[in-house]
Amino acid sequence: MALRVVSFLNQFFGQLGGEEKAGAGPQAIDGAVGAARAVQQALGDAGTVVATVICGDNYAAEHAERAIAELVALVAAAKPDLLVAGPAFLAGRYGVACGALCAAVQAELKIPTVTGMHAENPGVELYRRRVYTVETGAEATRMLAEVKRLVALGLKLARGEAVDTPAAEGYFARGLTRNVVAGASAADRAVSMLLAKLAGRPVASEVPRPAFPPVPAPRLLKTLEGATIALVTDGGLVPRGNPDAIEALNATRYGAYSIEGKSRLDAAQYDNPHRGYDTTWVKQDPHRLVPVDVARELEQAGAIGKLHETVYSTVGVATTLAHSARMGREIAEKLREAGVDAVILTST
Amino acid sequence: MRLELRWFAVDELAASLATRLTGQRLEIDLDGLRALLSADRRLTGVRLDLVHPGERCRIGRVFDVIAPRAKLEGGEDFPGVLGGVARAGQGTTLALEGVAVVATDQQSDNVGTLAVIDMAGPNAELSAFGRTHNLVISAWPSPGTERPDYLAAVRLAALKAAVDLARTAREATPDRVEVFELPPSPRVPPELAHLPRVAYVFQIHSHQRPTGVDEGILYGDPVRRMLPTIVHPNEVLDGAVLRGFMGRSVTTWATQNHPMIKALYAAHGRTLWFAGVVVTVAQATEPERVRSAFLAAGLVAHTLGADGAVLTKIGGGAPHVDMAQAASQCEALGVKTTAVVEDMSTDGSAEDMLLFDLPGVDSLVNVGSSQEPITLPAMDRVVGADDLAPKLLGESRATYGGLCGAIEQVGATRVMAEVR
Repeated sequence: MALRVVSFLNQFFGQLGGEEKAGAGPQAIDGAVGAARAVQQALGDAGTVVATVICGDNYAAEHAERAIAELVALVAAAKPDLLVAGPAFLAGRYGVACGALCAAVQAELKIPTVTGMHAENPGVELYRRRVYTVETGAEATRMLAEVKRLVALGLKLARGEAVDTPAAEGYFARGLTRNVVAGASAADRAVSMLLAKLAGRPVASEVPRPAFPPVPAPRLLKTLEGATIALVTDGGLVPRGNPDAIEALNATRYGAYSIEGKSRLDAAQYDNPHRGYDTTWVKQDPHRLVPVDVARELEQAGAIGKLHETVYSTVGVATTLAHSARMGREIAEKLREAGVDAVILTST
Repeated sequence: MRLELRWFAVDELAASLATRLTGQRLEIDLDGLRALLSADRRLTGVRLDLVHPGERCRIGRVFDVIAPRAKLEGGEDFPGVLGGVARAGQGTTLALEGVAVVATDQQSDNVGTLAVIDMAGPNAELSAFGRTHNLVISAWPSPGTERPDYLAAVRLAALKAAVDLARTAREATPDRVEVFELPPSPRVPPELAHLPRVAYVFQIHSHQRPTGVDEGILYGDPVRRMLPTIVHPNEVLDGAVLRGFMGRSVTTWATQNHPMIKALYAAHGRTLWFAGVVVTVAQATEPERVRSAFLAAGLVAHTLGADGAVLTKIGGGAPHVDMAQAASQCEALGVKTTAVVEDMSTDGSAEDMLLFDLPGVDSLVNVGSSQEPITLPAMDRVVGADDLAPKLLGESRATYGGLCGAIEQVGATRVMAEVR
């Protein structure tokens, strides 16, 4: 049975006009118009473009939420089995609209979608994790060949067929990992990879380098003598009994523990659930992890203005980047609200 | 140094009145072996089970797996742990193929962290131990035996059994003979001097958990204060290095059949010159880590004169970073590296696969995600974990890390995490 396909295009590829029509709101036209004709050609007998949905680039960028809601309604009205958005090439507003519409259509209408764009299109980074995004050139010079790749992947998705690797299908990695069985042992692959590297041949690492965004250390704008200093740790200090039930690894929680009136931490009152390092020594003396003793001395000697009366603590082992970033943000907000100027963060 | 491994294929394992190898049938006098293992006062109630490939059987509470080996001449069996301290890696060693000794840990109660071996079904395909005939040892601690002593006793029992089985091949004719011979590192024949020199940096333990006094890892030493040192690869293949008692995705069996050392030997003299092995431990503190990383890199670059190095780790996140720091130090000295990592993501996202981003450490092979869920199908029999049998018999969920032999951090396995 031929699939019902909707094609999404911007004003230019939908033949409404150039930049002067970029403010045009969403509209649907029966059948394939403009670049949607390439989609129809690529589909052949496998499917029919039942509608072409078009939206101006500026309208989509300036009224993003409204535009996507209106576009989803137009797509829904055509009752498609598949949405093909773009390809948007290097057109940024268009690429973002394609990704956003695909993500919304998948989520709300539960139908598969596919889009395509150039690696540097901002839509790639925003949506590739959720939306199958085929890599295309920067310009529409090879429109039909590239649309054919979008449609080939789209047909697999619409038919529920297995999707091959990003390299084989030509889409941007979605950033998900899955165990598979390789053709050779890891040891054999490692030796082959090293020989290639030594010979100056290109090496395809099996693990992408993480893109940790750099966090510049802010400057302390006052002297230490006038500053309030907080102690924060990811080394797992908790009061005995672990009242916040902070996980031993892969933590999603942190605790806020008062040190008000304490000049030292009594080892008998603390514990440590951290499963990523040998906690023998910090259980024996918690100051090895959270130096309340020395910090109090510095406070009394006037070397620091004040020691913040709350210690924040979590377990930093196998913690996902997402949870780490969230906990860090929350702790930072609380410290800022409390007027803390600087933090000593002890890690393990 | 020259090591000869005489291999004997075993395709049948059976209980009998005498322990002997008849053709490819290995018979075990279970009562006699039980008596031998029960002599250790730290243990009580030793139980032995035989399980076979294809049998709908699940081995539970797996602690470690040992390959049956026995010295015929030129050394001691598992020196420093079972035999006396003596150099390993030379002479002749008997090796049985198709059979393994599986030690179980009867003290650990957390079903979620216990490793299993499936002898049939899809998981049997993923582990080398789903394809071997296995002698499963279950032993319980005698009253008053502390946990480190219990684990030392369990491992020692498995080593004794492994030697006992391999000794049956003393008079037999081997099916094949493997020779491992590597001259002292600098002595490269002129016609092979153009080959890139490659070293292997082998992390043998992680100090995330301190070793016990009887937790012999390198020639019986618990490697508590070990700094990077050079060993001959034959020493690793011949029982000088055993796994410690922390068993995350690594077995002693994989060390005895070390896949990286074998891969480097296979390429030696053809596409590379195997320059040697540096053994290291993952350290617990930052100064120790930094010191260990630059010392290891110095041995690789300045002593072994290597152009390239492969690195593996053992344990979790800290060892993963420790290895990467050593790799980065190698790169800083002009030594090209590849490292074998586990996918460290706990939620299946590619951005969490690595815990480091260090200069030059950009060529990585991975052994998969130990956290990824796997289904354990229903089985007919559970051995090694009688008390857990009700839970382990039926279909249940586990992870790749809980399937012993599915992921070996030294690179013996083919499971890998693919980014999609």
